[in-house]
Amino acid sequence: MNEPIVSLRNVTKRIGRKTIIDNVSFDVPKGEIFGFLGPNGAGKTTTIRMMVGLMSITEGTITIQGKNIAREFEQAIRHVGGIVENPEMYKFLSGYHNLVHYARMVPGVTKDRIREVVELVKLEDRIHDKVKKYSLGMRQRLGVAQALLHRPSLLILDEPTNGLDPAGIRELRDYLRYLTREEGITVIVSSHLLSEMELMCDRVAIMMRGRIIDVKRIGELIGTNDDAQTYLIEASPSELAIAAVREIAGAIAVKPVQNGIEVTTDRDRIPDILAHLIRMEVRIYGVTPLRQSLEDRFLEITGGERVG
Amino acid sequence: MVNLIRNENMKLYRRWRTWIMAALMIGAVLIGSFVDWHYDNKDAGADDWKTQITQEKQHWKEMIADPKTEEGSKNYAKDQLAIGEYRLAHDIRPESDTMWSGINGSAQLIMLITLFTVIVAGDSLAGEFSTGTIKLLLIRPASRLKILLSKYISMILFGLLLLIVLFVVSLLTNGLLYHFKQLDLPLVSVDSAGNAIELSMLGNLWKSYMLNGVSTILFVTLAFMISSAFRSSAMAIGISIFALFAGAIIMELTQPYAWSKYMLFANLDLSQYLNGRPYQDGMTMTFSILVLAAYFILFNFVSWFFFTRRDVAA
Repeated sequence: MNEPIVSLRNVTKRIGRKTIIDNVSFDVPKGEIFGFLGPNGAGKTTTIRMMVGLMSITEGTITIQGKNIAREFEQAIRHVGGIVENPEMYKFLSGYHNLVHYARMVPGVTKDRIREVVELVKLEDRIHDKVKKYSLGMRQRLGVAQALLHRPSLLILDEPTNGLDPAGIRELRDYLRYLTREEGITVIVSSHLLSEMELMCDRVAIMMRGRIIDVKRIGELIGTNDDAQTYLIEASPSELAIAAVREIAGAIAVKPVQNGIEVTTDRDRIPDILAHLIRMEVRIYGVTPLRQSLEDRFLEITGGERVG
Repeated sequence: MVNLIRNENMKLYRRWRTWIMAALMIGAVLIGSFVDWHYDNKDAGADDWKTQITQEKQHWKEMIADPKTEEGSKNYAKDQLAIGEYRLAHDIRPESDTMWSGINGSAQLIMLITLFTVIVAGDSLAGEFSTGTIKLLLIRPASRLKILLSKYISMILFGLLLLIVLFVVSLLTNGLLYHFKQLDLPLVSVDSAGNAIELSMLGNLWKSYMLNGVSTILFVTLAFMISSAFRSSAMAIGISIFALFAGAIIMELTQPYAWSKYMLFANLDLSQYLNGRPYQDGMTMTFSILVLAAYFILFNFVSWFFFTRRDVAA
């Protein structure tokens, strides 16, 4: 692992006597999409706000490209592009003037660069309209544009998909993939939606009550265990199907579900099972492998705490 | 820093609100000047003022001779007498019925400038919090102090701009109404020894602008402080405007108490030392400036303290 872009060391945030964030540490290497997952109120937003200097850090240190965010704020934040919750822009200004506004705050952002990011987020046609006339999706895209203006090496997005329609979410996902691949940007993104994280991230930190309880590669988390997997066989009548499966496969896990049965077995055995079912005159409508979803794993890890 | 101020100016001048305020002020100057001009005594001959001053002189002399006249009024009468004599001796007419009466009258509208600047200042900082734009503003390589300072400077510049608009519009309007006659009329006043002296009318106008500007700056600073501490535009604007209007009443109520001379409102009007008596005996220009400076530093310290220290949570 090369030098991490972001590094949190024993970060703690206390407000009054309440501990909001408790001793959080992790590193994010270059080019990774790192996810923060957890129920609302777990401390995702607070952690992100400490990382961008909107909130003070009670204990511990956060460094971005080796610069301490609390002590060397201006040098550290230079590398960061951020969207903290909804990208709230100046509604009375045009999209273009909003970008001019942020461009002026960082040295070296030229008019050409503004044009470039506007093209990247495909807002060329509407960039001179007032932001109050924008749809939510367009505002989100303008939010991405302002975050990318100064060519940050780290992009921090807090709940970026809130309020976006599926097309918008997909679009955002594609940007992020593009940015990590083509420009080597590192991305930290928080969400309470597991399905999104599953599609977007390389690694995920699971937060609960101000602590990180697990950091895992997305593959590990989903658990692609090839030896034994559960398959849904849509079949009727299910009693007959269960009996037939027991007959051929012996003592394997099989249970009736609403529109058929669920069988846990090796992949190689599926053809035999199906052949036998057909011989026994069970009607088969479909076979689907059931992956254990991130949600199941999440509930497992967090001990059943509700998500979202 | 220059870029930050340009940003603040962009946010200020690309809003209708700002231009409506400027338009309201121009409207007030136009109406005020026109009314003033309309009620002028247009039948007066060119030298009628001389007869009037001769009559007034008589009145002041009687007042001085009268043993029942108080010391203060007597001094006032003496000053007026000196001015009247000087006018007759040097053939300098009073400002009434000239373009200067309208221009000096418009100077009262500086109150409107204070009001507008306070509204804009109250919203400048707190508005960023209520719309949430503060988050994107603060995650840039600019310290919070610089951001606060740039907002502050842009507010002062806005006040200055309104002042220049006020000056130009009132000069042009009244000049046109009176065909720029008496443009070089001097102001006759008295020095501390009671001798009549000639002063520049324009110089005096700007002096009173600047003295009033001091109170505008303090109200803006107050609005900033409340903005920074409570992050609510409504509160910042409301409290500052309340202070602006209630100040006079509060001063009236507290005048009997000696400590009241340390209050902000007692010292805001620096012109009290130029003409007339100070709020309480023993107060001097230097005293007021020191008190105002103390409030100025206090307000700015509180703004800075809250703005740079507090978390941006919501």
